[in-house]
Amino acid sequence: MFSYNIEFSNAKILYYIGTAGWSYKDWVPSFYPKQQSAKFDWLQFYSHYFNCVEVNSTYYAYLSPKIVEGWVKKVSDCDDFIFHVKLHQDFTHKRKIDEQSIKAFRYNLDILANAERLGGLLIQFPYSFPFNNSATQYIQQLKDTFSNYKCFVEVRHSSWHNQNSFEFFKENDLTFCTIDQPQIGQAIPFEPIITNDRAYIRFHGRNVNAWKKSINSFGKEQSYEERSERYKYLYSPGELIEIEQKIKSIQTKVKEVHVIMNNHPQGDAVANAFELIHLLEEKDKVEMPGTILKAYPRLEELLVN
Amino acid sequence: MRTIFHLDLDAFFVSVERILDPSLKGKPVIVGGDPKYGRGVVAACSYEARVYGLHSAMPIRTAYKLCPHGIYIHGSHGEYSRFSKAVKNILQQYAPVVQQASIDEFYMDFTGCRNVYGSLFTFASFLQKEIWERLSLPSSIGIGSNKTIAKIGSDCMKPNGITYILPGMEKEFLAPMPVEAIPGVGKVTLKDFHSKGIYRIGDITKLPQDYFAAAYGKYGIDLYRKAYGEGSEYLIVDNYEQKSISHERTFADVTSKQFLKEKLFKLTGKVCQELRDMDWLASNVHIKLRYSDFNTLTRSRMIKPTDDDKTVFEAAWDMLMKAHTRRVAVRLIGIGVSKFSKFPEQQELFEWEEVKRRRMLRAVTKIRDKFGYEALMFGIVEHDKRSMTMVNPFRVKT
Repeated sequence: MFSYNIEFSNAKILYYIGTAGWSYKDWVPSFYPKQQSAKFDWLQFYSHYFNCVEVNSTYYAYLSPKIVEGWVKKVSDCDDFIFHVKLHQDFTHKRKIDEQSIKAFRYNLDILANAERLGGLLIQFPYSFPFNNSATQYIQQLKDTFSNYKCFVEVRHSSWHNQNSFEFFKENDLTFCTIDQPQIGQAIPFEPIITNDRAYIRFHGRNVNAWKKSINSFGKEQSYEERSERYKYLYSPGELIEIEQKIKSIQTKVKEVHVIMNNHPQGDAVANAFELIHLLEEKDKVEMPGTILKAYPRLEELLVN
Repeated sequence: MRTIFHLDLDAFFVSVERILDPSLKGKPVIVGGDPKYGRGVVAACSYEARVYGLHSAMPIRTAYKLCPHGIYIHGSHGEYSRFSKAVKNILQQYAPVVQQASIDEFYMDFTGCRNVYGSLFTFASFLQKEIWERLSLPSSIGIGSNKTIAKIGSDCMKPNGITYILPGMEKEFLAPMPVEAIPGVGKVTLKDFHSKGIYRIGDITKLPQDYFAAAYGKYGIDLYRKAYGEGSEYLIVDNYEQKSISHERTFADVTSKQFLKEKLFKLTGKVCQELRDMDWLASNVHIKLRYSDFNTLTRSRMIKPTDDDKTVFEAAWDMLMKAHTRRVAVRLIGIGVSKFSKFPEQQELFEWEEVKRRRMLRAVTKIRDKFGYEALMFGIVEHDKRSMTMVNPFRVKT
């Protein structure tokens, strides 16, 4: 049939949609099945349904290369699967770089890069990292250190939201990460900013109350449940449609869009990621395991619609 | 000659509820509150519920009597406005001009677009399909030479209908339709029409225009024009974001001030509840007063940004009393608020008393969201004939 579609025609764009991490015990049984054989592997199962994952464990520890090699093996069945690796906190939060750390981190990155499994490097700075000369110099230094990888930089301080900062990102071919988070205080509303031919979008959920609570208990020792409560949020169909339309409005400006769902508690991130695959990639049918359909009956729509 | 499309989302609230919960498909669904808790009205009902005689604006208790096995839900208003915005975004990709008339209605001006889109009927069906495929929302479209005829067109073939009223055929198209098909003819006017033997739109056009002007004033002339298929051809194109929240009520001519006070108080409650639902504060209050001879006047006043029933009501009542100078019965009163700002996070900006009231009102909003608007009502105490104060605790219905 003749198509009247004007705006979105000829847009060839690669979507990488996944979650922040795959190893969550509370994804059983909403994503990983309850009955698991001895051979059952979570990453292998995950990679069957998604084409990317963000690795957050690399932020806390310099992993053994054996672990990273293990990942590569586990996703060997899935041709297009990639890992986005989060840079260690020594670089972003403590801002102490020594040759040893660089070497250790690069070693693991190269394992993935050589196997063509590396998506990019996520460099996430804390709120206490405002836009100024020394900050841009520091980012430039990191960019030079990791020059052969795609760099996605997440800055959270609102001072970064200005034209000079965006120009800095553009000049250095850095991707400015877009984040969606609860709208509290001076939080920046979800609006993709494009600084090169890639977009990297992270969704933290919109759980306002738990987010406020977590600010008050900052620095206290907390259980996994307490820590992750602020990410407990299932985006509603209307919110997802809003997100879809915003992302599609930038798709003529970029070649790749990476979407990472970090609202991980109990599998909400997985359910929303399936919904976004349906909306963004315009797939008539999304392949999903029975477990998620049982936990989130509204996903059944994605099978028929 | 203009080409106006009117797109109306079929049973919009119900369609969205079915996206949120697919198990509601094919079942009689009623949005508008829980019959156990409230005396609210039906905001929307599914076509399966309409079979039982249900329709919007029907008291929820009546609906429950007719359809006790229906599924009654209070509604997810934030979600409705998200979907509504999404529809508008899609329409704006195709239409040179879009006017959003309400949360589920859009006018589009496609004048001169035939060369771009070919057959308008086929194009309308494409638009309908696009909204269905992208958002799972069914809609009906009316195409006509002005807004009124396009709207009547979209109404007459629901759901999933497309009606194209060919230019020049407007009067013939309308003649056999019941008078209530004309937008703006409500229950009270309808009763009045029936008492005069006017049942079909064709009955209006048989009468002289002077008669309508004498009986219904400016409103009557407007109705008369609509019956001939005339109407506004131009869309209001400023960026629609909800500009005001208002409620009005028509009566069979009223003279009691006490009655008006109570009605205005109720309408204020509804307006302020919606304000709080949106997390907005309003800094302008306006009222509308229509006398039984259809003379209508409006008044407005700036106030300190608020979402509090008390402040809004006091301003509105004062304006209404100053405006109500004639010794003529009242036919309609309305209240609205506008000039919105977002509810600020920093509560320190407010006095302690205000903070306390604010917290109380937030709690009221929450309870109403859960149990329906009528679950918790404000009371009013009469101090003297000119002033009123609201009191706590509220009348709590269980």
